[in-house]
Amino acid sequence: MDFVVSQLLTGLSLSSILLLVALGLAIIYGVTGVINLAHGEFVMLGAYCAWLLQTQLGWGLLPSLIPIFVAVALLGLAIEYLVIRHLYDRPLDTILATWGLGVMAQQIVRLLAGGELRYVQMPGALSESVNILGATDSAYRLFVLAFALGLFALTWYVYRHTSIGLQLRAITQNRQIASSFGINAGRAYRLTFAYGAGIAGLAGALISPLKSVSPEMGTGYVVDAFMVVVVGGVQSLFGTVVSSGLLGELTGALAYLSNDTIAKALVLAAVVVIIRFRPQGLFTPRLRA
Amino acid sequence: MSNKPILQLSIYGAVCLALLLIPAFIDDAFLLNKLARYLIFGMLAVALSLSWGYAGILNLGQATTFGLGSYCMAMALKLKTVPIHTGAEGLPDFMVWNNVTELPWLWWPFQSLPFAVAAGILVPAAFAALLGWFMFGGRVAGVYSAIITLAAMVVVNLIIIDQQSYTGGFNGITDLARFEVLGISFDAYARSTYLLVAGSLTVALFAALALTRSKTGLILQAIRDQEERVRFFGYDVARYKTFVFAVSAAIAGLAGMLYTIVMEFASPTFLGVPLSLSIVIWVAVGGRQSLLGAMLGALLVTGVQGSLSESETFLSTWTLVMGGLFVLIVLFMPRGLAGIVSGLRRRDTARKAAAQPSHPVGAAGAPAGRTA
Repeated sequence: MDFVVSQLLTGLSLSSILLLVALGLAIIYGVTGVINLAHGEFVMLGAYCAWLLQTQLGWGLLPSLIPIFVAVALLGLAIEYLVIRHLYDRPLDTILATWGLGVMAQQIVRLLAGGELRYVQMPGALSESVNILGATDSAYRLFVLAFALGLFALTWYVYRHTSIGLQLRAITQNRQIASSFGINAGRAYRLTFAYGAGIAGLAGALISPLKSVSPEMGTGYVVDAFMVVVVGGVQSLFGTVVSSGLLGELTGALAYLSNDTIAKALVLAAVVVIIRFRPQGLFTPRLRA
Repeated sequence: MSNKPILQLSIYGAVCLALLLIPAFIDDAFLLNKLARYLIFGMLAVALSLSWGYAGILNLGQATTFGLGSYCMAMALKLKTVPIHTGAEGLPDFMVWNNVTELPWLWWPFQSLPFAVAAGILVPAAFAALLGWFMFGGRVAGVYSAIITLAAMVVVNLIIIDQQSYTGGFNGITDLARFEVLGISFDAYARSTYLLVAGSLTVALFAALALTRSKTGLILQAIRDQEERVRFFGYDVARYKTFVFAVSAAIAGLAGMLYTIVMEFASPTFLGVPLSLSIVIWVAVGGRQSLLGAMLGALLVTGVQGSLSESETFLSTWTLVMGGLFVLIVLFMPRGLAGIVSGLRRRDTARKAAAQPSHPVGAAGAPAGRTA
C-alpha cells in the first residue's frame, strides 16, 4: 500500500512541476497561438531571480515570489511589445523568434551570473517530511502541488468569470468580430503574454530548491511543457491539468519499470502518436470551425 | 530564385569551383580540417533549405538524420580498428567494457564498408520517409510537424544514450580507423578529405538544384504556398512532401558520414537540439528559399563562430549577438541574405524594363499550413 502511495506521490510531484511550467505556455498558446520556445528561459530567469534575492538580499523563497512574478511578467510584456506582436500572422516564425530570444536570455545569464550550477534553499518551515497513508513525502513538494493547483484555479476563475476572461474567450473564437465589438485584442494579447511569462517565472522560483539552477535548465522544460499543452488540447485549461497529471504519473511509472531515459523516450513517442491522431488534443470538445 | 537558369548555374558552379580550389592555396592542415567541417554544415543547410524553403516543412530535427548517417560510418570504421585492447573477436572496446560477449546482430553488416556507406544514406532516408508518411499521411502540418520532428529527435537521442552497450552511450563511438576507399586513405587533416567533402557538397548542391527545377520541385513549391489548392488539383500532397523530406534526410545522412570522417568520432550531441536549431539559424540567415544562400549562410555563421571560439567570453558574446541577429532576421528579413541579393537584382531588372511593371514579389514567409 505505502509503495503504491509513494509511487503515486512521485508521479504527482512530477505532475505539479509540469503543470506549473505548462500553465503559462497553455495560456499563451491557447489565446495568441504563439509557440513560445523562450518559455523555458522565463522559468530559468525565475529560478535565477530566486537565487539572486536569496544570496544577495537574504530573502526567503516565499516572500520573493511576488517580486519574481512582477519582474518576469514585465519582461514578457517588453518582449511581446518588441517582437511577438509583429508575428501573430506567422505562427512558424514565432518558434524561431522566441528561440532566438531564448538563446539571448541564456547567454546574458551566463555572462552575468556564470555557467556554474546554483542552489536555492527550501523555505525552512516546509523542509520536513510528512506522512501520508504510510508513505513519506517532503512538505515542500506537497506545497508545490497545492500552489500549482491554486494557481490553476485562479487562472481558470479569471478566464471563465471575469470580464477580461470573457474578452479573451471572444478573441480566441474570432479576433475580427471581437475587435469590431470594441475589444482591444492587441492589449489582451500583451497582458496574456505577460501573465504567462510571470507564471513561468513563479514556476522557476518554485522548482529552484528541487533542482539545480543553470542557464540551460529551461530547454528541457519547454519541450515537456509543450507536450503537456498539445496532449491536453490547446483550448482547454482543464485538459492541461489532466494531461500534466497523466504525463507525470506515466513518466513516474515508466521510470520505475525501466529507467528515466527510456521513460522519457516512451512518453515522447506516445506524444508524437497523439499529435498525429488527435492534433486538437485529447480533451478538447469538438469545436465548430 | 533567378529566372535565368544559365546565370544561376554559373553562380552555383563558380562558388563550388572556388571551394574545390581552396586547398591549392592553403597548406595548413588544421585550417583545412576546420573548413571541411564548415562545408559539412553547409551541406546540412542545403538539406534543410530543400524541405523548409521549398516545401514549407520546418524540420526542427534535421540533426536526427545527420546523426544516423554519422553513426553508420562510425560503426563501420570502429570495426576496422586494430583490436589492441580487445579480444580476438575484434569487439569494439566499449562493448568489452559493457560485458558484451559477441558482436550484436545490428553491427554485423557494418563489417562491410560499402554497406555502411549505403546505409549512411538509406537509413536516414528510410527514417525520414517513415516519419514523413506518418505525419503527412495524417495531414499534420505547420507547427505540429515541427514539434513532431523535434520530439522524434529527442526520442532517438535518448535511445542512443540509453543503449550504452550497443552505441557507446553518452561517450559516442571514438577511436576510429581511417576511411579508406580505392587505396586512398582519408586522413581527417589531409587534402584528400577536404576534396571529398567539397566534392560531395557540390554533388549534393547540384542534385538539390536539379530537384527544385524539376516538375516535382515546382509542385513542392506550390504545396508550400497553397497546399489545399494543390490537393484539389489531384496531386498526392503527402507523397510529394514525404519524398522531399527523405531526399533532405539523405543529404543530411551523407553530411553525417563525412562529419564522422572529419571529426574522427560520433557522438549523441550530433543529433542534439542545439545543432538542429543551429541549422535552422544558418538557413534563416542565408535565406531559406535559396540553396546557395542557405549554404553560404552556414559557412558565414560557423566561420565567424569558429574564429571567435578561442576565447570563451567572445564565444558567449557572439552567441548573444547571433541570437539577436536571428530575431531581427526573422522579424524583418524572412528571406535572409539571399533575399537582399535577389531584391537588388529585381530592382535592377525593373529599372531596365521601365515600361513593364515587374511581377509582384511573393509575400515573404511561407504561410504555414494550419491543421484543422
